[in-house]
Amino acid sequence: VSVAAATYRVLHETHYRYEVPVLLAQHLLRLTPRRCAWQSCEAHRVDIEPAAAERRAHTDYFGNRVVQIALEAPHEELRVIADSIVSVATHLPRIAPEDTQPWEAAREALRSADTAAALDAYQYAFASPGVQLTPGLADFAAASFTPQRPVLEALLDLTRTIHEDFEFDSEATSVSTPVAEVLAHRRGVCQDFAHLQIAALRSIGLAARYVSGYLLTRPPPGKPRLIGADASHAWVSLYLPEYGWVDVDPTNDLLPDVQHITLAWGRDFSDVSPLRGVILGGGEHELEVRVSVLPLDAERDLPETPT
Amino acid sequence: MPRQLLSVYPQASPRFDEMLERGGAIRGHWRGLWDLLVASQPEQMRNRVDYVQRQIQENGVTYNVYADPQGTDRPWELDLLPLIVPHDEWEMIERAVAQRATLLNAILADLYGAQTLLRDGLLPPALIYGHAGYLRPCHGIRPPGDTFLHMYAVDLARSPDGRWWAIADRTQAPSGAGYALENRLVVSRLFPELFRDIKVQHLASFFRTLRDSLAHWAPKDDEPPLVVLLTPGPYNETYFEHAYLARYLGFPLVEGSDLTVRNGCVWLKTLSGLQRVHAILRRLDDDFSDPLELRSDSALGVPGLTESVRMGNVLVANALGTNILEGGAMLGYLPGLCERLLGAPLAMPSVATWWCGEEAALDDALAKLDGLVIKSAYPQQRREPVFGQDLDKRGREALIARMRAKPHEFVAQELVQLAQAPVWDRTHPRRLHARVVGLRVFACASPAGYVVMPGGLTRVGSDADARILSMQRGGSSKDTWVLSSGPVNTFSLLRRAIGPQELVRSGANLSSRVVENLFWFGRYAERCDNRARLLRIALDRLLEDADEQDGAEWQALIGLCRRVSLLPKLEDDDEEDADEDTPPPSIDELLIRAVFDAQEAPTLAANLRQLFRVAFQLRERLSIDNWRTINRLTQDISRRKGTQISLGEAFGFLDRCVLSLMTLAGFAMDGMTRDQGWRFLSMGRRLERLQFACLTLRHALAGGDEDLDWLLELADSIVTYRSRYMSRPEPLPVFDLLILDPSNPRSVIFQVAGIHDYLERLAEQYGSCGEERLAPLLERLEKLDLASDLDAEAGLAKLDTLLGDITTAAFQLSDQVALRFFTHVDASRQTVSM
Repeated sequence: VSVAAATYRVLHETHYRYEVPVLLAQHLLRLTPRRCAWQSCEAHRVDIEPAAAERRAHTDYFGNRVVQIALEAPHEELRVIADSIVSVATHLPRIAPEDTQPWEAAREALRSADTAAALDAYQYAFASPGVQLTPGLADFAAASFTPQRPVLEALLDLTRTIHEDFEFDSEATSVSTPVAEVLAHRRGVCQDFAHLQIAALRSIGLAARYVSGYLLTRPPPGKPRLIGADASHAWVSLYLPEYGWVDVDPTNDLLPDVQHITLAWGRDFSDVSPLRGVILGGGEHELEVRVSVLPLDAERDLPETPT
Repeated sequence: MPRQLLSVYPQASPRFDEMLERGGAIRGHWRGLWDLLVASQPEQMRNRVDYVQRQIQENGVTYNVYADPQGTDRPWELDLLPLIVPHDEWEMIERAVAQRATLLNAILADLYGAQTLLRDGLLPPALIYGHAGYLRPCHGIRPPGDTFLHMYAVDLARSPDGRWWAIADRTQAPSGAGYALENRLVVSRLFPELFRDIKVQHLASFFRTLRDSLAHWAPKDDEPPLVVLLTPGPYNETYFEHAYLARYLGFPLVEGSDLTVRNGCVWLKTLSGLQRVHAILRRLDDDFSDPLELRSDSALGVPGLTESVRMGNVLVANALGTNILEGGAMLGYLPGLCERLLGAPLAMPSVATWWCGEEAALDDALAKLDGLVIKSAYPQQRREPVFGQDLDKRGREALIARMRAKPHEFVAQELVQLAQAPVWDRTHPRRLHARVVGLRVFACASPAGYVVMPGGLTRVGSDADARILSMQRGGSSKDTWVLSSGPVNTFSLLRRAIGPQELVRSGANLSSRVVENLFWFGRYAERCDNRARLLRIALDRLLEDADEQDGAEWQALIGLCRRVSLLPKLEDDDEEDADEDTPPPSIDELLIRAVFDAQEAPTLAANLRQLFRVAFQLRERLSIDNWRTINRLTQDISRRKGTQISLGEAFGFLDRCVLSLMTLAGFAMDGMTRDQGWRFLSMGRRLERLQFACLTLRHALAGGDEDLDWLLELADSIVTYRSRYMSRPEPLPVFDLLILDPSNPRSVIFQVAGIHDYLERLAEQYGSCGEERLAPLLERLEKLDLASDLDAEAGLAKLDTLLGDITTAAFQLSDQVALRFFTHVDASRQTVSM
């Protein structure tokens, strides 16, 4: 069963509690769901407590909306609540994996960068601050990307490999764990798996980007609950020169569709952190993040979770 | 004797020789210098050598300096002889460098704007996309006048046929212009008549253009624009130059923590509040400049700077993101880009360079590896260049494998046969050597186009490797004399017409960090002074009469030395005796250690090192004379490291030390304006003096009242005492002079009253800062009746309590001042949420 579209209300609440007052704070917020071909953002607001002394917005290099805030009065906590209504249309690739071009041909087409889209995509083929291309990654990719294999087929194979061979473990890594370590220890969270897959794809010359967003989880009776519920989620998008960008979710081994809500994309997490800041004072802090995705359509219209 | 000058000089070298023609004749534009060298007596040349070394050492010109004691201080290397460039040749260089700067600026404007060069295939996208210096957050920012590159430098080399080639572009925050200026000040004074007669072009108007241009493009408000020079700090290898240029250009030298962004504008944190900054000449790498939007792990930057630039509220020069043009891969594409962007051929060729990301280039490079140097295409990789000819079979294979695996990360460049020029042999009365040279030329943007500095930094290769010019690898430098065809413009930045409305009467831009350093400068200078005096008296008594050593005075002195930890505490002695068989060190040895051993925390040497460290942070605010005084002292100590030192030598050193510290104090009294900075320096000095005086007096009171000579000597009050009393020291007049005499600048009451006065003045501007602690103490001092107190047990106890209370108050005030005025300069931290 598949539906054409779904609408959600997404609440993303970030709550910092500081040990001693923060005297001055500046934060960058990437909490506005992107508009794209299959997604529209119908309503959106960000509430900040205490009130920000300054607030400005601009669109970043990757096309994400950024809100920059400054707090100039001492505060012991900071609460940022993003409240959005988002409609997502289906965007599963309309192309059979076995019919896609061999991955080597995709690599060459990307390198020639002869269309505006390919040129734009090409910049996602290089190492970036959070994705270093260390030795070993190309070999890791090569197990799926065998010679002349259709590129989408190989991508789905790599996605499955990560899902099967790596363990979801929220204790094993932090926001800055390098890819090489994830590859060595074979455990991590969605951010780690996305970084790992991106690094593997870039190591063999393909263009892959990091997508941050949310995931609806509605465990159907008897089916396992999807990992990533009630937290930000992250997945990967690969550029197929003859088709365009295709999303894959290595954490859950599936093709994102109307259950995945796109927030922002960039080269890696460092380009899209939902909230990044510099504070003066504050001492130690406690951080609590809560995400709720509420379907606004009738529930029966939603698909069963693909497995 | 001409023949003697050239006795070891290679006259038939395959290289281009700057001074000699092919046949061995002296080139016309070198004739004047040559004749002067021929005519100079060995004695004169020795004096010139000494002059250069003294200037470098005393001005503290360094490269690669780490103030950290474990680090290496490397003095700047400067040859006596300039490199001379004739007028017509310079015109060609000047045109080519200005064109190159214009071209690179246009490339930057495209890369951070429309990116047509990538779309049209004039630049391989991988070169840009793979370069960590392509700062995405800066894309779309259009700087005023579309000027990205305000200060540009290019390294030039001359091939055997005499042609000049560009070998590397410096676009991020080029260093060297300040060193060129310093070289000029030294070398022009070595040969003043020659300098004038052959019409060497002056450098000052170039720096004026830089200053005026920054002011021109800075955002306007009602105030005159405030331009600051942003440095990564004293640990940077070229910090000397930052401080030097800041002082020369009249810009406050600031670190990231001195600046803050509020309301989209950049502000300088000063003692009197926040002051708007309109332009920043940066020497900090661009990715480190803003931890909020750029590298989040940078502790050196200014959070929010990028947004302030984006809003047009501050000019950053060079623009953030200009690092993208560093890395050799760009060189091969410049001819095509020049035709496209400027519609003209590139005036000066770059040394042949291939980016291996192109397949044909990779094959070519691998085929002729022996004649090439392989560099990394992206500066973030920090790989050392590899010379193909240096590799053995295995190294060669390894390199080829790496290049094949990631060809786009490599650049192959032809070797340049550098030109040679004469350098003076410092160890010989009259002899020239030939060394390879390269020239770094500077250009700055102006509203009328790029202006090239008529001169430059000539870099001289070391003996060991004639292929590389690097100050880090033991190279040297030369002044560069560009000859003029017409009259020389003798404008100097040091003489500038300032109208009455431009007069500045107070140091309005005093940053909190500078004030803190001034405060500690005062404290350490005073601490060194009192330690040096104490040790000098002890050594004096030791040299004078060994029998005296059982007397009360000797006991008092040694006791005091122990109190301030110049000598080990008694318990420590016992422990050592118990643990080891070696005899305990003699008192001579212990005292010498207390003077010279910089490893032990509270010795004189260690305190001098702290003084040096603080002075180092303040270098741009101290006059050259101040700096020389401090520099000489620390050099005096490091020269003796590991040598046997006699008591006499130590005594001589202490004499010089006390004298130097008096000189420093004199500068502070006589040479500094009475602004808030001066007040903090003086307050530091007075607090330190007060604490030491109270300690000494309590020690003396507890020790009985015989032999008070040492106490007077220590407080530098013996002359006053003798002139007043003409008798041997007696307790009442001594303690009166040292505690209660308000006219004695060493007395307790003088310090308390002085500090009270400074605090009251600060309070006028900033509100109460602790002066209320002092008023009751001052009152108690004024009510003292020394004549009766000194005679009674209870009176002595009361006096001791009062001095103790004053000591406590001094400690508390020091902390309070620090909290109030300094600690708001605090380290920021980054946070990231999921």
